[in-house]
Amino acid sequence: MPERTLRAAPRSWGKSLLLTLPILLWSLLMFSRAAMQPGRAPKLAAAVTLLLMAALFFQMVRTFETHRWRRYFFVALGFLFPIGFIWDLVALRGSMSIPVERMLSGDTPFCFIVIPMMIVPAALLGTIVFPGSVLATASNPHAISAMVALWLVATLLLGKGWCSYGCFFGGIEEGFAAVAKKPRIKKLDARLRWMPWAVLATVVLLTAALLEPVYCTWLCPFKAVTEYLQVRSFETAFQAGIFAVLFLGLVVVLPLVTKKRTQCSFLCPFGAFQSLFNKTSAFDVRIDRSKCQPCVLCEKACPTLSIGAESLESGKPRLSCMKCGACVDACVRGAVVWHIKGTPVGTSAERARLMHLYSAWGFAVLFGGGIIANTLAKLFGLLV
Amino acid sequence: MPAGGLATEALLLGISSGPVCLASCSPVLLPVLAAERKSAWGTGALLAEFLAGRLGGYLGFACLAWLLGLSLNLEPRARIMVYGLCDAGLAVLLAAYAMGLQTAPEKSCEHGCPASRARRFNDRYRTFAPVSLGFVSGLTLCPPFVAAGVRAAETSSLPQALLFFACFFVGTSIWFLPSVSLAVVERFAAVAVVARFTLFLLAAWYAYAAVIILGRYFLHA
Repeated sequence: MPERTLRAAPRSWGKSLLLTLPILLWSLLMFSRAAMQPGRAPKLAAAVTLLLMAALFFQMVRTFETHRWRRYFFVALGFLFPIGFIWDLVALRGSMSIPVERMLSGDTPFCFIVIPMMIVPAALLGTIVFPGSVLATASNPHAISAMVALWLVATLLLGKGWCSYGCFFGGIEEGFAAVAKKPRIKKLDARLRWMPWAVLATVVLLTAALLEPVYCTWLCPFKAVTEYLQVRSFETAFQAGIFAVLFLGLVVVLPLVTKKRTQCSFLCPFGAFQSLFNKTSAFDVRIDRSKCQPCVLCEKACPTLSIGAESLESGKPRLSCMKCGACVDACVRGAVVWHIKGTPVGTSAERARLMHLYSAWGFAVLFGGGIIANTLAKLFGLLV
Repeated sequence: MPAGGLATEALLLGISSGPVCLASCSPVLLPVLAAERKSAWGTGALLAEFLAGRLGGYLGFACLAWLLGLSLNLEPRARIMVYGLCDAGLAVLLAAYAMGLQTAPEKSCEHGCPASRARRFNDRYRTFAPVSLGFVSGLTLCPPFVAAGVRAAETSSLPQALLFFACFFVGTSIWFLPSVSLAVVERFAAVAVVARFTLFLLAAWYAYAAVIILGRYFLHA
């Protein structure tokens, strides 16, 4: 049993409130538009979301814990996004499935996972391989340009932190991973962590060769809870089957038994691509080797196999670290710390954490908060 | 048409449609180059082998295109058959190559033991893998290749058809040269693991494509 050290006492209420004030003001600004919409439901939804986001940030500041409170937001986002999305699809066309004619006419809402697949065909052939609209239209308000701009801003700020604060799919598996107290499967082949890179290479190469978004048509587990091609042939039925199997396997069952985000760890090509931007982000997590006695609590806590023996040796997690904070919170010796690149490790870890949190939570309020508020407004509309 | 004019036309057709050829052959070529983790010269040599195989495919197809006239290009069923067989061939070759990367044992064992036999088979196959993959890729009917095939079939003699395909090949090959830069991944051990997974995924894709295409071919026979 590793020796436990005392955690820092909670921050005072006054100081915590003061530190929460910028996020509160930012949230007020973000949700004021939703609150001005007619009807009581949008106002109520905006107020609830504002309180949720501010309260979670307050708790992160007060308790010095990041992962636990972030997870409430992230799981809410993961489960509310598909509800709102399916709601809109059913209202728009009465079904989750899209007929191929409508897809070809550019009616498919753009999803950030396509971004790495677009680059090679765009550079080589000047073609955007996605049946969406570059600019927003009446029938498709989720334009490619808007999503790419949002992604770019978040990526420059957070690197792979996108996967902990921005991805509206990751929360589903994080929710299932949180259900069990202990993992039933503890040993996972570490080589499998390279699988997302292989999926990335495969979909990028095949997308360029076939000029179709291969991941969306064949491999995306989240098609099972968003939008899929209307089943009219053996091929579309087979595709729908793949979506269902991948969703049940990687997003529901494996997270339940491993307590890991298995879809992110073993499949998601966007996550692999996003890892590269950890090099450009100012924030990262480091392991202070002078304090570390390899109890591997951080390794066990990491939801994406981003800490291994070589991480403890080098003092850095793997490139796939998504800055969720699980390892920092799990370390009882304070050896795993937040860090700003270019500064000494461990000297101002709390300041680094707060600076990272302001940028990450600011983005979470803007993007995920908006999604949560929109879906809550629809649900409250049924009651109010 | 004079040979010079025909060669220029083929070269220009190759250069202008090269990006599509590169996109079409990349799923086969790039994972193999990455998996081998060789220096720039070694990667260049592998690329040369792949391109030599591809040239063999082109010229073989040129002979067929000329011998059969336009019929091969205009007959949809024949085209579907070629697509299906090429995809099946690529699936088998890629899977065998990926398995070879995995099964080659690090420890030596007695001559004749299953692992030793597998290693000898793998070593032998891996020597010919770039050429054989290039050959099958050369036969794949990508749109620029079909365009070249139509034009080659219009030429008046077999040597002219071969000249046309050879010059077309040179034009498209220019676009493949930057892939030598994959030698930069040589120092990353993980690249071999990623490349092996990628080869398996691509083999599965080509196998599925072959089953669907050949299934349609035989169902509608």
